[in-house]
Amino acid sequence: MVASFFGTMAARARTSSVAIVAAVAMVGGCASGDTGANEPWDPLETPNRFIFSINRAVDIIAIRPIAVLYRDWMPAPAQRGVHNVLDNLGEPVTAINEVVQGDPSRAATTMARFLVNSTIGLAGIFDVATSLGLTRTKEGAGNTVGYYAGVEPENGGFYMVLPLAGPSNARDAAGLMADYAVDPFRILTYALNVDWLLYSGPRWGATVVDARSRTLFALDDIEKNSVDYYAALRSAYTQQRAETIRQKREKTNTRSELERRDNLALVR
Amino acid sequence: MQLASRRAVLCLVAAFVSVPAHAADGPAAALIERVASEVIALIKAKTGKDREAGIRTILVTYFDLPFMGQSALGTHWAATPPPQRERFLKAVATAEARAYSERFGQYSGQTLTVGRVSNRPNGVTVVDSKLSQSNGQPIAIQWEVRETGQGPRITDVKIEGVSMVMTRRSDYNSYIQGHGGKVEPLIQELEKRAAN
Repeated sequence: MVASFFGTMAARARTSSVAIVAAVAMVGGCASGDTGANEPWDPLETPNRFIFSINRAVDIIAIRPIAVLYRDWMPAPAQRGVHNVLDNLGEPVTAINEVVQGDPSRAATTMARFLVNSTIGLAGIFDVATSLGLTRTKEGAGNTVGYYAGVEPENGGFYMVLPLAGPSNARDAAGLMADYAVDPFRILTYALNVDWLLYSGPRWGATVVDARSRTLFALDDIEKNSVDYYAALRSAYTQQRAETIRQKREKTNTRSELERRDNLALVR
Repeated sequence: MQLASRRAVLCLVAAFVSVPAHAADGPAAALIERVASEVIALIKAKTGKDREAGIRTILVTYFDLPFMGQSALGTHWAATPPPQRERFLKAVATAEARAYSERFGQYSGQTLTVGRVSNRPNGVTVVDSKLSQSNGQPIAIQWEVRETGQGPRITDVKIEGVSMVMTRRSDYNSYIQGHGGKVEPLIQELEKRAAN
């Protein structure tokens, strides 16, 4: 009686372990079949297109002209200086993310960069650290989530278009919020009650103009050479983000990259 | 000791992965280098319509345009009758020529260095390259090369991980879906654009 009880238990355990193996194999099968050649998941397409059109109007009226003026009339060294300052302000967030990604030595390099550039580099205007051999990395919480998530990096949850900020997805939008929450500069200026005209206003304004002036050519290219700008940008954004995250993972896994290339070629 | 042997195994694996890549450095890398030098020569010599025509010749010669067009149409290709396919491919060739002549037209003395070449078992060769810019970071460009009847041909270009063919496919697919699942409106739109 007891023996038969254990017997059935064992049999049950065996069938359930078979079921688990089968389930894992199926999930694994789905994961390897998910080559990223699929269309990005966009259940909010209608509201997204609505926000996209508003963003585009704002861009055409205000942001793009400023970015063009900035690119064409601001002396190149000044543009580089502004870009360096913004990069430097972002270093602490990068370092925090690198710690979370399990790479404290890289985080130490990032903090060393921050210290060198903030002092010798005159508040980050000059990127002295790079010439000292401390190379720059940029990490956000979106990358960190993508790095740990056990899915193809093309899969960042549902696609969304953020007001003003533009293309994003669930992963990257959550990442933006997390980065904002842990940003030491934001916490410090908030705690010290620094007027927004002194810090956040200029910082975000400069970020928008700098980023837009750097994406002028690429975005113009996509807009001019597409029949559906929204869809083309959605695809390009998803691919570009996936590439960044993949490079992060690839450091430990070159083989997966080669297999992905095979899969992509097979899908076509 | 155990760590050392594990490291040795890792090295072995790494060697195994990279050796066939270097052994097959031949035709695909040579193709990319030839295309780059021809494009640079063309851009220095010609402008405007002449440049576009020159780029078109280069595309027809070294790119597998029918294959790229077919990939861009994705699942709709099978449902498209041959005469429509012909018109589609013709319109796409013009669109590509225009796009690439604009992209290449931005050229201002950068150098393209061909890097790792990986040969894949399914006949596709991936050529990594870097476009060094005078200011800022180099741009990573990957070329996908496939062996066809008439020698190796480029089937896709990836700029910073963004595949031109995949972006096109997403773009066309969405347009087709937005027009009742029919390919005809897309072809007409492409032909209209090609005309001006």
